[in-house]
Amino acid sequence: MGTIQFLMDGFATALQWHNILFALVGVIIGTAVGVLPGIGPMSGVALLIPVTATLTSGMPTESAAASSIILLAGVYYGAMYGGSTTSILLNTPGESSSVVTALDGYQMAQQGRAGAALSIAAIGSFVAGIISLIGLVLLAEPLSNIALEFGPAEYFSLMLLGLCAVSGLAGKSMTKALIMTVLGLLLGTIGIDAVSGIARFTYDIPVLYGGLEFLTIAVGLFALGEVFKTILEKETEDGSIAKISRVLPTKKDLKDSAKPIARGSLLGFFIGVLPGAGATLASFFSYITEKKFSKNPDSFGKGNIAGVAGPESANNAASGGAMIPLLTLGIPGSGTTAILMGALIMYNVQPGPLLFDDHPEIAWGLIASMFFGNLILLILNMPLVKVFAKIIQTPKKYLLPIIIAISFFGVYAVQYSTFDLYLILACGIFGYLFTKNDYPVAPLVLALVLGPMIENNMRRALTISNGEWSIFVTSPLSLVFLIIALAWILIPLILKLTGKKVIVNEEE
Amino acid sequence: MSKTFDKGTGIILLIISILFVLESLKISGSAYGSAIGPKTYPLILGIILGLLSLRLLYESFKSKAESKEKADFDYKKFGVIFISAILYVFLLEIIGYVLSTFLFLLIAFQVMEKGKILSTIIISAIFTFGVYFMYVSLLGGSLPKFSLF
Repeated sequence: MGTIQFLMDGFATALQWHNILFALVGVIIGTAVGVLPGIGPMSGVALLIPVTATLTSGMPTESAAASSIILLAGVYYGAMYGGSTTSILLNTPGESSSVVTALDGYQMAQQGRAGAALSIAAIGSFVAGIISLIGLVLLAEPLSNIALEFGPAEYFSLMLLGLCAVSGLAGKSMTKALIMTVLGLLLGTIGIDAVSGIARFTYDIPVLYGGLEFLTIAVGLFALGEVFKTILEKETEDGSIAKISRVLPTKKDLKDSAKPIARGSLLGFFIGVLPGAGATLASFFSYITEKKFSKNPDSFGKGNIAGVAGPESANNAASGGAMIPLLTLGIPGSGTTAILMGALIMYNVQPGPLLFDDHPEIAWGLIASMFFGNLILLILNMPLVKVFAKIIQTPKKYLLPIIIAISFFGVYAVQYSTFDLYLILACGIFGYLFTKNDYPVAPLVLALVLGPMIENNMRRALTISNGEWSIFVTSPLSLVFLIIALAWILIPLILKLTGKKVIVNEEE
Repeated sequence: MSKTFDKGTGIILLIISILFVLESLKISGSAYGSAIGPKTYPLILGIILGLLSLRLLYESFKSKAESKEKADFDYKKFGVIFISAILYVFLLEIIGYVLSTFLFLLIAFQVMEKGKILSTIIISAIFTFGVYFMYVSLLGGSLPKFSLF
């Protein structure tokens, strides 16, 4: 069967009525998550994993996994659309990848062109979403065929590369990012060793035998950490919301933003494919590029529509691009994709090259649903943007306690233990303290998901080579991965030493 | 504040890494022919963490003191909500999901902002019964019931 045939089957899965519903719910919640400052895509997806697990509990495993990943991915790219709304209307970005959108978007709103800015952001996001999906369809087969040739040594090095890339770009201090990565890996060793069956670091405490549940840690660190931060730190009330008069962009707006959208989409897609570099970096780069290409760069920051169109397309394309390493190689390149991967693993579905052969329903169903979801988002964001803008006014008084209650319910419904509830409370405190002191938490979650796989591949490789560590450098592919991994860590260090400014990717 | 936090974290992580190395040495070695047993990987990680925490300590001692910014922290509000969250977990399996969730939300709403008792009661009740009804009646899951008597 060719790619087209698979894609058609994917549409057959995605267009089942319950999956349409799941995609719809996913993108609506995603848009809300993007609009609400304080909940980013990562905590949004983490919070919804238990909820989807509950919703799909009656279905057979395969379709349950397909449905919930459709919903969760919808939250992810939906948040990319929603994030622009608050940037433009309030000058407060709902998530970090919309920070640059605020530069020109808010200015446009001040000039009474809020509607044009919002609709260009939505159109740009839509075009970018479709372009990155076409890229995903084209690259999925060849990439997973390459990945099928990988042995344990190659996998080990590739995962190491993923971790290094994320730590190399995350946060202000690389030492801190690396510490968080290693901490995540260490936490991943708690429990019964999968190869030998020996209990490690459990100290005869029964709840620890199964290891620490990734879901508990992720919900605690992201969702509760964020809630605690908002409760602790009194924030000054936001300014007034700009009025939206005319939703449709003018012909001139469309003409001015066509090229930035195309450039932003391509740039964002390739940045998204790279591990470690996520939507934030993509939107940032796109803004710089647009400024360079522009005939009058001085107009940027004063309400130039290209400064909205480019970055908004780029961050959406990046979120599509980030699905590629996740689906084809089984290596998440960012915090949010790590959480999506954790969700798949919960359903006993291993992302990676075999995903397309073993579970075509999930892989292609997801891709097809993303075409469909982007279309829904375009419809949602153009006429309904005024409704979503209202969500910003949800009083924190009700929002925060309800987030706590949803996290508790979700984790308890999946784990059935109060130990996990105490654990999320503790993780919430740690999440707050870590983020406050510039320790990025995304690498920790990524490492927690990848840790057991890294160890298994390392031990399998070493068993093949009779304990010779040289296997990792004698295999050419593995050597290449290791060199790139090293470069991700060393190049920013060298740049810092020579006094250059290093762009970091701060994904919430 | 950030610098003291870094120093503290550095020391704690150093201790953790030493404990980790010691503890992983205690894990029994390879169970079968393989040269690499269950202890190798945690051992390596422990050593890396130790080195990184030393680096963190070095960095935190080297860097100049930052200008302190006095933030306005709401410890009281946070403390009350955190303690009621702990009580919520503790009571969850004793007084049941419905009662504990309702009480937690009621307290948390009131702590966030006093007043409007009626609307907080209504919202807590809608959330609690909504979740319970959806999950238990529609989806057939089970949540802790009142089990004091």
